[in-house]
Amino acid sequence: MPRLFLKIFLWFWATVVLTGISLVLAFVLQPQGAPSRWHASLADTARYFGAAAVGALEQGGVPAASEYINRLAEDAHIHGCIFDDAGNALAGEYCSEFTGMAAHVAKGEPSDFAMRHGLVRMAVLIRRGDGHVYIYASELIAGPQAAFGPNPMILLLRGGVALIVSGLVCYFLTLYLTTPILRLRTVAQQITAGQLSVRADLRMELRRDELGDLVRDFNRMANKTEHLISSQRQLLYDVSHELRSPLARMNVALDLLRGRVREDPALNRMEIDLQRLNEMIGRLLTVAKLEATSTLQTPVRVNLSELVSSVASDANFEAQERGSHVDVVQAAGLAVLGDPNLLRSAIENVLRNAIRFTEPGTAVEVLLRAGSTISANEAIVIVRDHGSGVPEDELTNIFKPFYRVTDSGSRDSRGSGLGLAITERIVRLHGGSIRARNDADGGLRVEMIFPRAFPLVK
Amino acid sequence: MNRLLIVDDDTELCALLAERLGADGFVLHAAHDGKEGLERAISGGYSLVILDVMLPRMGGMELLKELRARSSVPVLMLTARGDDIDRIIGLEVGADDYLPKPFNPRELIARIRAILRRLDERRTGPDRFTAGDITIDATVREAWAAGRSLHLTTIEFALLEVLVHNAGRTLTREYLTDAALGRKLGVFDRTIDVHISNLRKKLDAHRGIERIKTIRGSGYMLAPRRPSEEL
Repeated sequence: MPRLFLKIFLWFWATVVLTGISLVLAFVLQPQGAPSRWHASLADTARYFGAAAVGALEQGGVPAASEYINRLAEDAHIHGCIFDDAGNALAGEYCSEFTGMAAHVAKGEPSDFAMRHGLVRMAVLIRRGDGHVYIYASELIAGPQAAFGPNPMILLLRGGVALIVSGLVCYFLTLYLTTPILRLRTVAQQITAGQLSVRADLRMELRRDELGDLVRDFNRMANKTEHLISSQRQLLYDVSHELRSPLARMNVALDLLRGRVREDPALNRMEIDLQRLNEMIGRLLTVAKLEATSTLQTPVRVNLSELVSSVASDANFEAQERGSHVDVVQAAGLAVLGDPNLLRSAIENVLRNAIRFTEPGTAVEVLLRAGSTISANEAIVIVRDHGSGVPEDELTNIFKPFYRVTDSGSRDSRGSGLGLAITERIVRLHGGSIRARNDADGGLRVEMIFPRAFPLVK
Repeated sequence: MNRLLIVDDDTELCALLAERLGADGFVLHAAHDGKEGLERAISGGYSLVILDVMLPRMGGMELLKELRARSSVPVLMLTARGDDIDRIIGLEVGADDYLPKPFNPRELIARIRAILRRLDERRTGPDRFTAGDITIDATVREAWAAGRSLHLTTIEFALLEVLVHNAGRTLTREYLTDAALGRKLGVFDRTIDVHISNLRKKLDAHRGIERIKTIRGSGYMLAPRRPSEEL
């Protein structure tokens, strides 16, 4: 809001200043018209005060004229001096400064005019009824000082009032414009956070201006998005259900077949592939679900050290069947906010992958420790295997769905090719990052970094 | 006791299963929607119910909740594979075991047999056991804590029975899975932990004490409280 306020305020004043400048320009550039009229009115003013001063001179002599001119100087800041028709000073202030102008008029010109620093000096001829001719020279205030007065305090005060009033006007204008925008923003944030059914206030829709249009269009967009997302979710759910039903039937039919024909390796092949197909459907569904989620619904405190130990001990069973084992090297007492089931499956996928690729007889090492150089608040889970590693230029690709490392030595048809992709999405959903690199003495090292971890209090 | 009920909207699957289970001596009846399934499950004519989570008219979870309010017939849930949430909720609501669908029929039969074995067990020797303020009666399959009846499901009863027999001793998750569910502990299998958690809730309802202690890294232990400890 303050940003918009400042912009509106500055634009307001830019408009005021530009209008002023263009007015002055128009005034100056006009060939006749305004400047000559302005000039004439100044001459009239000078003539009026001149006649009064000359009257005082004729009636009361020099002292009366001087007193009148002094009073004028005090009251109206007009300085003046009376000359005779030959250009000799008779009475007044700053007469020496006006001598040149008076002489000029005495030579026969009707008047003389000079302007400097917003002050106009002008000499005029005053003809009395009895034939006497005088010259009155005076200094008048014109330009900005005529508008604001010569006092800088008053100038400051008026400027201050103008600033405050314009500030208030701009403030309320900003408030009027930004209140609906801010409300809309809150709603947009709620929708981003996953509350798809939230809509902008109906009262805002009733506004008959562009903001009302915006709110109406926003709500229409939100309806459409919610509909799209929910129908996509339903589709995924249906697809998985529909694909699995025939799989379930095939499993039973296969088993019935086993009872009728003699043992056949083709039957085992079918069973394994049915299982694999099913696993892939499940994982594909998980990937799609994770893609559709932008934030965690209800994060809870997850004890990472307990989770890592428990996943590792589960995975150790699997590793032992393949002649390797899982070692928990370090499990610092750390917790993060998140979804325990998702976090479990994230770590599980990396571990299973490591078990697949580690050489028989070697260990898969698991490590949980607190932040490194970037931030002390992060929890890092490291899984390291003793396999052949991954070619350097393919390291970032292993988190892509169905990515297979081209190195033939590590080819393995087991696994769905989705485990690490799922892990990457889960880690990202928790605001963290994942990276893989080859260890100096061979083997792949996967690091999952979770920000905003906190130590467990015993 | 070999009459089973399956509640699943896939009629062809039900027919195939009836044939397959028939070969192992079971009689499988099928209900194809939740309402019908609930009525027939409550009727009491079945020794076990196989329940699919996704059902028309009344969802599997809802059916299970209603069923558990009125009957303790063993329930085996069929869940979508990979959907851990369904599985955990199912067990929490009172299913005895689960099997991800699609499943291997041999696995299904093994699990059915394991649950039924708990139900049929007739012990020789004393039927009544006591550990602290917990009493179990194997003949009527009923358990009490501090004189309060616990209304346990088949698997919960089997689990408590093992814990009471071994009160004060740490039992591993492998041992408990084998003893209560009659199968090997699978990799990443948390069924036993959910059953323990349900049992804890029933045992320690309205109390701030934990009779079943978690022994980090090894398993669970029942720490019996003497009735005199409760003042």
